[in-house]
Amino acid sequence: MKKKSNSLFEDERTLILKLIDGDQSAFEYVVSEYHNIMLSIARAIVGDAFADEVVQEAWISAIKALPKFEQRSKLKTWLLHIVSNGAKSRVRRENRMVSLDEGWESVPADKFDHTGHRIDNVSPWEEGTPEALLANDQLQSIIEHSFQQLPALQRAALTMYDMEGIKMDEICNILDVSASNVRVLLHRARTTLHHSIDKYQDNK
Amino acid sequence: MYQCKDITEEVNNYIEGDVPLTKRIGLFFHFLMCSCCRNYLQQIRSTISIVTTSQPKEKDSTDLKALAQQLQGLCDKHDH
Repeated sequence: MKKKSNSLFEDERTLILKLIDGDQSAFEYVVSEYHNIMLSIARAIVGDAFADEVVQEAWISAIKALPKFEQRSKLKTWLLHIVSNGAKSRVRRENRMVSLDEGWESVPADKFDHTGHRIDNVSPWEEGTPEALLANDQLQSIIEHSFQQLPALQRAALTMYDMEGIKMDEICNILDVSASNVRVLLHRARTTLHHSIDKYQDNK
Repeated sequence: MYQCKDITEEVNNYIEGDVPLTKRIGLFFHFLMCSCCRNYLQQIRSTISIVTTSQPKEKDSTDLKALAQQLQGLCDKHDH
């Protein structure tokens, strides 16, 4: 599902021209729209310690290069590649490796018998649209908390694929991981969030 | 024959259509027979919808207004 864009800047060409002209509202708009996902990507690639610095440098490079931006891709994609490249160079300099397995807990083995059949009973969740369910502040804060506890690579994969609708091959390029690894990251992130929502449903 | 344990490993690939046809058919038959796994599949689908709607964010203490001003300042420097 894609986010609604600000009606002032629905035309990306206009937004870019306004940025080049130094329009304050255009800057506030792009920073509020893209800073968080840029941070997510930087954290996934280079880790928390250097992510803020990498994003700051990416913004400065992007704004300086903006007059030469040929718009062969969306502004968002272009920004994500700039931050991704900056983070990858930083990784090379710092010699840092991020493990795909960081913080992963599968479905506990005690939920299955020796033949692999479930021994717990999985009941349907309370029905309702996501919007109706999220009207409950407690669920919203459970999701927020659970999301923030995920390893950075899982957060980045989930944000790009499920929340921003970015295509799989683009995510592979940005994070520099294979499609099968992105699928593993998505599976783990969704499974962890499912556990949190399931506990909330059980305790209601 | 697929077991419930296999479903927990493959459910996201199944949702994304990233499983070969024969495996897909095998998983489909398991869903037909097992109400727990049908419920689990529905819960994972709901999880995706809820998370997509909820749009959780990275923790971030950046002053976005100050950053926007700083970047805007770069354009002013280009102009003069």
